[in-house]
Amino acid sequence: MTSKIEKEDLSRRNFVFGSIAAAGLTVAPGVMLYQTANARDLSKPVSSKVRWGMLIDTTKDVDWNKCVEACVKEHGLGNEEHSRADQRTQYIRVVDVKNKTTGYSMSLPVMCQHCEKPPCVDVCPTGASMKREDGIVLVDRHRCIGCRYCMMACPYKARSFVHETLTDQKTTTPRGKGCVESCNMCVNRVDNGQLPACVEVSEGAIVFGDLNDPESDISRLLAKHGGKQIRADLKLNPGVQYQGI
Amino acid sequence: MWLQLNINFSFSSLLKGSLQKLPLSVAGLALMASFTTVNAEVEQDELGPRIEIPESSGKSCVLPEDEIRRKHPDMLKHDRILTLREGVRAKADGNNLDGSLKQCINCHAIKDDNDQYVRIDNDKHFCVSCHKYAAVTIDCFQCHRDIPEGSSNFHALSGHKNTDFSSVTPGSYGLTVKDMANIAPEVSSDDK
Ligand code: SF4
Ligand code: SF4
Repeated sequence: MTSKIEKEDLSRRNFVFGSIAAAGLTVAPGVMLYQTANARDLSKPVSSKVRWGMLIDTTKDVDWNKCVEACVKEHGLGNEEHSRADQRTQYIRVVDVKNKTTGYSMSLPVMCQHCEKPPCVDVCPTGASMKREDGIVLVDRHRCIGCRYCMMACPYKARSFVHETLTDQKTTTPRGKGCVESCNMCVNRVDNGQLPACVEVSEGAIVFGDLNDPESDISRLLAKHGGKQIRADLKLNPGVQYQGI
Repeated sequence: MWLQLNINFSFSSLLKGSLQKLPLSVAGLALMASFTTVNAEVEQDELGPRIEIPESSGKSCVLPEDEIRRKHPDMLKHDRILTLREGVRAKADGNNLDGSLKQCINCHAIKDDNDQYVRIDNDKHFCVSCHKYAAVTIDCFQCHRDIPEGSSNFHALSGHKNTDFSSVTPGSYGLTVKDMANIAPEVSSDDK
């Protein structure tokens, strides 16, 4: 099924990256820690004390397509039969960018950036597009009317629309025709104390953790090396940050 | 054409006078149907498509049968808000069986003669068997999975994890149109 998840071509996507600076920061290998695992009382609502985030080190020599594959497998994506390739759902995709002047090129995985101030939530007429207290942005498909307003509003083109009747969904990721969907930061896994699927296969290149906890790996890495947000100028404060872009 | 109604319930508690607690939709339909039943020669009690409502584990559900029948739509709606929007994954009272659709499916999935789980397009599917009879369209399974993900893949929080499902024995009980017509409709909703 992964073959259906096409790499996005440069021209469509490079508007996101006005310029690329190759900072070349490296994070200590093997960091894939999740201190707060199971710490949460599952009978209580999530709280805004936690804010989940991801730090993606694009300088690592990782095949990002592995992350796409893991995502597809985790959420049972790619089961559309009639949709065109560009209509099929993508939660995460690999974007190739090239600086035309220097010829420097690189790849990076882009998923929903889990904005602190998500425009997709602002525009949703039904309250379907929502941000959980812990910063994970989701579509409540019970309320989604499929207007696709959020798809227009998202500056990262993170969202997809399901065009056809689906069967054999994963129990953990209900999804169906007429609803918009996007990366949910593997909320099913996170609530279980597991790492998101893409993080797990990233060989340490993606660090997941609590941005609000200064002692978490992600916070310490960010404090030490810094991180970059895509289109930081929009001031949406995404929870997904990058190194090496 | 005459409408024939004879529901075949497997829950023996219905015998004990809990009929008045059946869901409104079923009761309402039965009420309507009782007016349209015009064939005089046939005993009403003998009429009708019979739905076999299969039992699950034989162990307890989240609520007693009469309550779950009435309240399950509200429970599902309540829990979907709690779980999806607020991130609650278990019930606060320590009783981990909750109103999650996944849990319903895991316990109530029905297998056909070939030992395959029947899907939502099959009248034997637990949810379909009643809802089709009551002419209630269920949209849940446009998104939700209609069968368990694997026989051992129970809800992480399931209290049924150690249940021996091989000992499941379906039973049946006949419920007539007259019975149904006597059920007073009650309306409840958490839409506030
Ligand atoms: S990246 Fe797009 S879909 Fe994700 S929170 Fe931001 S605006 Fe919404
Ligand atoms: S498509 Fe759904 S989630 Fe997106 S704005 Fe419309 S109703 Fe909201």
